[in-house]
Amino acid sequence: MSHPPVPTEPIFNPEDPEVPVPVRGTGDHGTWFTRHVRGIIIGLYVTAFVVLMLDLFYAKHSYFSEEDWFGFYGFYGFVGCVTLVLLAKLLRKAVMRSEDYWDA
Amino acid sequence: MLQHLPVLTIMVPMFAGLLVPLLARVHAGIVRPLTIGALGFSCFAAIHMLLHVQGGHPIEYAMGGWPIPTGIGYRVDGLNAMVLVMIAVIGLLTALWMRRSIEDELPAAARPGYHAVLLLACTGFLGITITADIFNLYVFLEIASITSYVLIAMGRRRQALYAGYSYLIVGSIGATFILLGIGHLYMRTGSLAMADILAQFQANPDLYGMSDVRMAFAFLVVGLAIKMALFPLHGWQPGAYTHAPSASSLFIAATSTKVSAYALYRIVFSVFGTEVLVSGLPPVRDALLAMACAAIVLGPLIAISQGDLKRLLAYSSVGQIGYIVLGLMLLDERGLTGGIIHFWNHAAAKGALFCVAGALVLRTGAARVDDLAGLGRRAPWTASAVTVAGCSMVGVPLTAGFLSKWYLATGALATDRLYVVPVLLASSGLTAVYVWRILQKVWFAPADVEPRVGAEVPWSMRLPTLVLAAACLVFGIAPWSVEFARDAIAALGIAP
Amino acid sequence: MPSFPPALVLSLGALLIPFLRGPLRKLYLLALPIVSFAALLATPQGSSFDYEAFGHTLTLMQVDKTSLLFGYVFHFAAFVGVLYALHVKDTTQQVSAVIYAGMALGAVFAGDLITFWLFWEGLAFSSVFLILARRQADSNRAAMHYLLVQIVSGLLLLVGIALYMHGHDGATAMARLTPSGSGHSIFNLDWAGPGVWLIFLGLGIKCAWPLLHSWVTVGYPAATATGAVFLSAFTTKCAVYALVRLFPGTEELIWIGVGMAGFPIFYAVIENDLRRVLCYSMINQIGFMVVGVGIGTELALNGAMAHAFCDIIFKGLLFMTMGAVLFRTGRMNGSDLGGLHRTMPWTAAFCAIGAASISAFPLFSAFISKSLIMIAAAREGYHLVWLVLLFAAAGVLEHAGIKIPFFAFFAHDSGLRPKEAPRNMLAAMAISGLACIGLGSFPDLLYRHLPYAIPDYALPYTWPHVIQQTQLLVWSALAVGTLMLLRFYPPELRSVNLDADWWYRKATRAFVAFGQGPLMRIFGWLSKAVHETIPTGLRYFARNPGGAVRLAFDRVALGWAGLFRGMPAVDAAQERLREDQARFAETTPGAAWPISTTVLYTAVVFLVFLLVVLA
Repeated sequence: MSHPPVPTEPIFNPEDPEVPVPVRGTGDHGTWFTRHVRGIIIGLYVTAFVVLMLDLFYAKHSYFSEEDWFGFYGFYGFVGCVTLVLLAKLLRKAVMRSEDYWDA
Repeated sequence: MLQHLPVLTIMVPMFAGLLVPLLARVHAGIVRPLTIGALGFSCFAAIHMLLHVQGGHPIEYAMGGWPIPTGIGYRVDGLNAMVLVMIAVIGLLTALWMRRSIEDELPAAARPGYHAVLLLACTGFLGITITADIFNLYVFLEIASITSYVLIAMGRRRQALYAGYSYLIVGSIGATFILLGIGHLYMRTGSLAMADILAQFQANPDLYGMSDVRMAFAFLVVGLAIKMALFPLHGWQPGAYTHAPSASSLFIAATSTKVSAYALYRIVFSVFGTEVLVSGLPPVRDALLAMACAAIVLGPLIAISQGDLKRLLAYSSVGQIGYIVLGLMLLDERGLTGGIIHFWNHAAAKGALFCVAGALVLRTGAARVDDLAGLGRRAPWTASAVTVAGCSMVGVPLTAGFLSKWYLATGALATDRLYVVPVLLASSGLTAVYVWRILQKVWFAPADVEPRVGAEVPWSMRLPTLVLAAACLVFGIAPWSVEFARDAIAALGIAP
Repeated sequence: MPSFPPALVLSLGALLIPFLRGPLRKLYLLALPIVSFAALLATPQGSSFDYEAFGHTLTLMQVDKTSLLFGYVFHFAAFVGVLYALHVKDTTQQVSAVIYAGMALGAVFAGDLITFWLFWEGLAFSSVFLILARRQADSNRAAMHYLLVQIVSGLLLLVGIALYMHGHDGATAMARLTPSGSGHSIFNLDWAGPGVWLIFLGLGIKCAWPLLHSWVTVGYPAATATGAVFLSAFTTKCAVYALVRLFPGTEELIWIGVGMAGFPIFYAVIENDLRRVLCYSMINQIGFMVVGVGIGTELALNGAMAHAFCDIIFKGLLFMTMGAVLFRTGRMNGSDLGGLHRTMPWTAAFCAIGAASISAFPLFSAFISKSLIMIAAAREGYHLVWLVLLFAAAGVLEHAGIKIPFFAFFAHDSGLRPKEAPRNMLAAMAISGLACIGLGSFPDLLYRHLPYAIPDYALPYTWPHVIQQTQLLVWSALAVGTLMLLRFYPPELRSVNLDADWWYRKATRAFVAFGQGPLMRIFGWLSKAVHETIPTGLRYFARNPGGAVRLAFDRVALGWAGLFRGMPAVDAAQERLREDQARFAETTPGAAWPISTTVLYTAVVFLVFLLVVLA
């Protein structure tokens, strides 16, 4: 990921010019979230596995046959999102223009 | 005294007009109060009569007690009561508005005379409206015309003289046409009283076939079309409005052409009878419809590219008069309602806009559209008035102009003249273009443009402007004008 | 409290705002929606406030369960919006926002088409100030774009209504235009016709149908931080309301809705401006509602309305959190933000609630509304529709549920350390957040206000539904997480993404390859016509219509004569034409009309009349 350079001086806020936005000083140790990224990801995988297994424990009331497949919703959500993101990346190739496109 | 109101409405401004130049020699300060007082009285009388005639109680008045076919009669019904109110109110507001404007634009010696001429012009217009005798109508028409020529020619630039002269020539042609029409009619019917002639037509529809009656109708229609500046006979009007003193532009633009349009209504309803358009001479109706539609589209079209605000408004008036004629030619209750309320609606909107044009002349010495830039910042009251009046011209809902267009459109649909609807829409679109041009200058001028208008105009000018702009809103929300128009139509005899 | 139309309470009450100062004004602003709500509660069911105007009966208040539901949520949105914007000192914004809310209420309670149209126009004209109030060159341009589209929508609606009335003996009732039942085609001439089509299209523009939607994605991100909150609540939902009223069971709506739900999410993934992401997600959510209206069964209509109700609240919440970020940092691009949860923890938490609500996690509001539409689609056997909606529901989680909070508050640290949002903003967000959780946890709060009863098979809290929905969402999140870990996820980039507004901005070949070549060319041509050719042409023509016609005639004639180029006469004529054209540009408009011309015209006109009357 390309990151913009982190500024070190307070920067101008066009919405509220009276109050410039302060920026990070020294000594930032992050927060609970930044310290537990790995734990959060592991938690996500574990939850995913658990809800998939729950499929074994209830009776389905299906309208369509594919709903009866084991883990259909999880599978559909996963594939759907991957497709969405990958197609969107392709779309970007077709429609992305430089930021001043309309001003040119 | 109340039973003499019809005649007093005319006579008070007339005698005030005659007295003003004399009294001005004694005491100059009396001129303005006297003018305002006289017009105020006419205003009061007109409104009183308007309320009195509601529900179909027309006021008949025989001059000097002579019985009507012999003597001259005045008659006030729902239709002309509305027009009387319009003339008197605009006259009064002009008199209130014009003090600073004429101090700026006229030499001191000319000002008392200007008041006198304004009063006499008002007399003329009121007289045209109130009379029930076609020759008397012609006489008042001449009074109104001659005073109008003077009002226009008093402009401070030389072009004003030329504009007044042009109007004089074209107007005289129009007046001659009207006189010829009246003459032909008199030859056939032997009467000048409107009611009398109408009774003859109703008793004997074969009269419509007579060639002299037909000639009379053609003369009258063309003569009035000139006076009301109906496209393509509008050539005299833009110059006249542009170069006249601002007060004259205000008064004449808001009343004069519409009074002629009223005369057309009167001639159709009370002299020939509406049958003349339906079975008598339907091609005339088609021709006038075509002229009205052409005016409605081409007036605003030409207005778009004008750089002078007064000239722009003049061309817009060419279009607006088309609405009034269109309403009459539809001969349907809804269409007529649209046409009749447009007398008031247009007077309010155009009056407000000419007030602003006059204010612009006072502040910058000219009425260039470009000089409106930044008006919203410097003169928010005036700018708001332009906005409201402009919206009414376009026909934005909740403004008066919307109602006019709505009724005209529904009237056109009801009489299966579908082509009128796109005509009205196109005209709204074109009007929106030039109104947007104005509003963009007024409100959205770039911040780095220094407004040419230094400050608000004095309250004496601002108040009439605001009253007229407020009227655009009031008539758009409260349907009083519609009630009056309905009542007028019921009295005129088109089944509701 | 005597009954009085809420629309008038708000829009007339707004006119007093400029005359109040300081704390009094704040109090008054907060009181307005409350008073208006009390007035609504005092209004009896059925029609009231009938006015005779221009020959029709205008009904200001048509109160039934459908309009009441929208009335409630619009009041909620108005109150929360006012609270959220309480720190704003710009009178223009305050007045226009309150009037705008009033117009929305007016449209929803309108008992006839004409009243509806009046308020519909009011919506357009009052809301544009919320964009103009930003007072920047690009937002002004966006405002004009927005207003232009809104005016077109209003005109289509007006002409449609006029034609409809003309064909139906002046019928104006704000009631369904479709026959009863569902499965009607808009192309069925038994009930539809040009008037109905124009009404349909006019509503479609404000409903942000595919290809007609760009006013949302251009206009809303250009609005002020607080203005966008109001905008997100009213205009599009009024259109949904009108569709529910007028076009239930119109089959074409299903496919339009599917397009809305399925396509914009691709744009949402790659868009950088986070408020524009919310706009795409809004179109996606409206797509669900439109599908519901199109299916037209009682359950589906219930679902559409319930979803509109919830959407106004959670979409408002999301716009509020983004507005707070914009207000504090002045930035809205995902690429400039990140890591803000350090200093704006409350805003981040509320954003998470909004995200969970829009993604339809159990216990959050969309969970209880979206499912009604899904079940209705499944029961009517729309298999493909159901699959696309399910895909769209997963996609919502991706762009609105994860992308918005993640890129604003987490992701890489942008280094920005803004203050937490002002207290009034936090209070407004808290109220909306609570409402989202409350509705999601106690669905009956909403269900009992719906016009039809909810059958047992559609109740949301059943084990299958809870587990399946959780599975869908968690695995979607897993997909996004995995793609991010694998560095497959498209980064936020400063860019412009071409969208349907591109049709009427610029033309390139890319979309031709998409198979929409002819349509694009027509749009491009129309755009050029509207923006350039017609205004320039009009001004050119209006300078001197007679002259312009003559020049055009000469040009055509000489074009033919061009075959004989080389003949001295033709060359001379062409030279004259060029001179005439050059001179024309300097013509003073309208001046070429001397008095002799008028006299001549008089003679001609009189001659015509004479021929006419004597013939």
